Amino acid sequence: MEQQLEVMLREAHQAMLDADNEADLQNIRVQYLGKKGRLTAIMKDMGKLSAEQRPIVGAIANKVKDELSEVFETRMRALKQQHMAKRLEQERIDVTLPGRHQKIGTKHPVTLITEELVQIFSYLGFSVAEGPEIEEDFYNFEALNLPKDHPARDMQDTFYISDNEVLRTHTSPVQIRSMLKHQPPLRIIAPGTVYRRDSDITHSPMFHQIEGFMVDENITFGDLKGILTAFITECFGKNVGVRFRPSFFPFTEPSAEVDMQCVICGGNGCRVCKNSGWLEILGSGMIDPEVFASVNYSSEKYSGFAFGMGLERIAMLKYGVNDLRLFFENDVRFLRQFHA
Amino acid sequence: MIVTHKWLREFVDFDLSAAELSHRLTMAGLEVDSMEEIGAGFDSVVVARLDSVELHPQANRLTICQVCTDTEVVQVVCGAANHKSGDLVALAQVGSVLPGDFKIKKSKIRGMESRGMLCSEKELGLAEESEGILILPAGLNLGTPIFEALDLKDVRYEIGLTPNRADCLSVLGVAREVAAFTGESLQTPQVPAFTSASDGIEDLTSVSIETTDGCPRYMARLIRGVEVAPSPDWLVHRLEAVGMRSINNIVDVTNYVLMELGHPLHAFDFNRLAGKKIIVKRASDGFNFTTLDGQVHELCSEDVVVCDADQPVALAGVMGGENSEVQDDTVDILLESAYFDPRSIRRTSKKTGIHSEASHRFERGADMDMVPLALDRAADLIRQITGATVLEKAIDTYPRVVEKREITITRTRTNALLGLYLSLADIDRLLNSIGLHTRPSVASTDALCVTVPLARHDLEREVDLIEEVARLNGYDNVPVTMPVSRVVPPIDTRSIDFVTNLRDVVVSQGMREIINYSFESSKVYDNLLLSPEDRRRNQVALLNPLNEEQSVMRTSLVPAMLETLGRNLAYKSSDLGLFELRPVFMPQDGAQGEERKHLCVALTGKRERLGWAHSAADVDFYDLKGLLEVLFEQFGVEKPTFNPDAPEAYLHPGKSCSIFAGTCAQDKVGVIGELHPQVLDNYSIDQPVYIAELDVMALFHCSAESKRFEPISRFPDSYRDSAFLVAEDVSAQQMLEVIDKVKVKYLEDVILFDIYAGKGIPEGMKSLALRMRYRSADKTLADEEVNAMHAKIVKALHKNLGAEIR
Repeated sequence: MEQQLEVMLREAHQAMLDADNEADLQNIRVQYLGKKGRLTAIMKDMGKLSAEQRPIVGAIANKVKDELSEVFETRMRALKQQHMAKRLEQERIDVTLPGRHQKIGTKHPVTLITEELVQIFSYLGFSVAEGPEIEEDFYNFEALNLPKDHPARDMQDTFYISDNEVLRTHTSPVQIRSMLKHQPPLRIIAPGTVYRRDSDITHSPMFHQIEGFMVDENITFGDLKGILTAFITECFGKNVGVRFRPSFFPFTEPSAEVDMQCVICGGNGCRVCKNSGWLEILGSGMIDPEVFASVNYSSEKYSGFAFGMGLERIAMLKYGVNDLRLFFENDVRFLRQFHA
Repeated sequence: MIVTHKWLREFVDFDLSAAELSHRLTMAGLEVDSMEEIGAGFDSVVVARLDSVELHPQANRLTICQVCTDTEVVQVVCGAANHKSGDLVALAQVGSVLPGDFKIKKSKIRGMESRGMLCSEKELGLAEESEGILILPAGLNLGTPIFEALDLKDVRYEIGLTPNRADCLSVLGVAREVAAFTGESLQTPQVPAFTSASDGIEDLTSVSIETTDGCPRYMARLIRGVEVAPSPDWLVHRLEAVGMRSINNIVDVTNYVLMELGHPLHAFDFNRLAGKKIIVKRASDGFNFTTLDGQVHELCSEDVVVCDADQPVALAGVMGGENSEVQDDTVDILLESAYFDPRSIRRTSKKTGIHSEASHRFERGADMDMVPLALDRAADLIRQITGATVLEKAIDTYPRVVEKREITITRTRTNALLGLYLSLADIDRLLNSIGLHTRPSVASTDALCVTVPLARHDLEREVDLIEEVARLNGYDNVPVTMPVSRVVPPIDTRSIDFVTNLRDVVVSQGMREIINYSFESSKVYDNLLLSPEDRRRNQVALLNPLNEEQSVMRTSLVPAMLETLGRNLAYKSSDLGLFELRPVFMPQDGAQGEERKHLCVALTGKRERLGWAHSAADVDFYDLKGLLEVLFEQFGVEKPTFNPDAPEAYLHPGKSCSIFAGTCAQDKVGVIGELHPQVLDNYSIDQPVYIAELDVMALFHCSAESKRFEPISRFPDSYRDSAFLVAEDVSAQQMLEVIDKVKVKYLEDVILFDIYAGKGIPEGMKSLALRMRYRSADKTLADEEVNAMHAKIVKALHKNLGAEIR
């Protein structure tokens, strides 16, 4: 029996090594080690052996089984590896072919800028408010210290709907509406569409502004500088210079025009900044006591600042758009350049 | 407002370069819009002497000149006729480049060498027109650049003044600011007394004011024996430098004083004044008056006019009349210096459309105290230039005396508003620097009483003075701080956020956002085939539109969308997915339109872009519908229902529907469909377009307030696929509604996965294949249970719609 086992081990070992695919190998294993295999057949004669011999032969049989199992596993691993290597060698795609794209849309650049600015001011604690585009004279002018016959009304060419209604010329009426609705402290940012009766290469009869204001006790002109400097550096980068210079708006006193260092030439002077090195980007000031009076706020108790800027202008500077008209022509070759 | 460096220096002795001055002015609130060096680019044009002038041998209109500079003698061929040997001329030397990139080169003219050019005043920018070449006064140094030799080198600053700073509408006014920021003193022009032996003015003329509202003060002087002539060069050049044209010596002087002191004057031909008198009053309604520019204006009783005994002779403070204008033969002049009411001037100026230097200043508020000085300054200059006699006294009619305002400024409030730490002495010094008189307040040691000069109409309240303090101290010197403010709950922005989120979802489905003008043409809905009664045709109109195309406010986003599509298609961008999310303006009973945000989405062209792995199929109705369904799903819109009622004339009647939503699908939220072929034609579009327009706020009201979690079943599903044979006109929605009504407890979802008609299907029928998925939350469903539920559904479909299982 021992001899039989010895022969079987040699045969099976050789057969396994000779097997050249996984199925054959599997068959060989069954043929020798399966329930109806050679080993089982040999072991049927165990009963004929003496009690002394039985454990010895049994141990040999187990050893044969273990050894063949190991040979099988090793061979099986090798065959699998060969098989995979062959498959990997055969399978090839042209990875340089372009991939399939999901369609992704685009927001209009004015929307993108609006969202960016709203987010910056949200971080500073401002809430968004809106107002109507067809606005009453009271909110657009009167309450903002722009009485009828005031020369400052000439600063803005107005579209009239009726004697008493205009297309709002700025987003400032939202200031009045918000202050009439809420009591201080108040921090509001109001993006929106505005209209001026002016149309040429650098003026569009419809454009967009963002208005912001803050009212509380003890708000100072220094605070106005703080908030607007924070905004500009957040929007255009830490190293951009900012300056405030005196100006005039009927609804603020003192008023300040805010310039930032030209982002095109870095302040050295170019066509965009008219060689001054500075770009005017927003108007601002401390809210005029007359404005507080028209919304029944006490200017003894409260102070505040307001500011406004043109969104197309910010977008032009930030994205390098050189023609205002592009914003309203809606050419997809323009629109698709503004990814989220 | 234009000022020049030299002119400013007549009033204040400062030592700043042009760039420095420009910067300081800007930072003081007088923004310098542009700066220009007068004579820049002309440095190579020098003083030269004509040593000889001979006729050109080949051309009798040309001369051959030997021109001598300090270093050489050159030959120049010249086409002018006003020069002779010995004259000093302006020579543009070979190699110089004149403004406009005009290169002076050595050349041959009719065979004779010419090395340079003799310049005219026009070529040097010294006059708009000139005849012949410029002949210079004798005694100039040869070889000196011409602008230097004539002492014309200067810098012109164009200042964009804000409307509150009428006091800076003069060289003197700007100089006052320069004096303030340089710390130098301001020199005002000195005027000598006039002494004349002739008659007293009151014997010769009179001034009466019948509208003291319109004209609080009117002064006049009589100047006799003037000789109207061209102005001297210095005067011409000064006016040209600030952008004014020279007319004659009298008008030029009034303009000079206007620019110098900022006060408008007017000179009348005294002998053309009927009754030799002046009456200031309101005009009579309907009177036609001819201004000196020849234009006729109809006047009304609000206009202030200056009259002689018979009729108006000037539109007060706006423009003089043709009937009393100074002419070449004028000998006696009545010179007016008055103060007119800003509101009257503004109304008249607006109504007549005349915007003159005078009206510009009067409507912003002139300086009452400048009335006598300007009058005397001009009279003195006219005397100097023409040798005329100025009568000793002036008439000064001043019925409504204007008092100077006194305002108290407190240190505490100044510092509190600005965030500064100034002392009262600092504030005092700053206000004094622009000529405000101050004295300590009796009431408080923290305050100053400030007397405001009459030129400063803008200083009315304490806060106006605080601004002056901030400005004069320098905005740069205000420390940058962050506000300390209470934290407050945010205001409700749900509807604003909804719009933002809606845009995000549309963009995420591949659409590009567009923004069109809110205006449209009143005729735009003809193209959309809307009925004449359609409400959208009744647009809110602008009273003063730019043009017909932009004359009314839009009531739908569709027309502009179609124009945008058309324009892009014309540029060969033919696969488009665009949307606009903007308000429309619906007419209401009042004039003011109701603004409602709409969403308009349009699709046309290929579904996917051209690519090796992409389908080349065109988009269709269901691409757009799917997009909307995703929107509805994302926002939890209740019961979106598509109702095939051919809702719009501009849509294909068989391929369009209304969309309803809400708890009972009762609110119309919009329409969707394929564009009507006639409308495509109207917009010259030659491919199908699918378009939807939704009312965003209606959608908002039908959307779910918040998201709610539904438990996930841990048990397996089982599904049944069945194909039903139904009549062609049975809609998918009908099938789904029937299934819904069966109320099968464990039916999880129904997917319509195939539609087929044609071979193998009887005529007039179609096959709809549905997959119904069943699942329980708390057990694995047995086959028998699923079969029973499915049988119920099949039965209901058969009963209600005659559906047969295939």
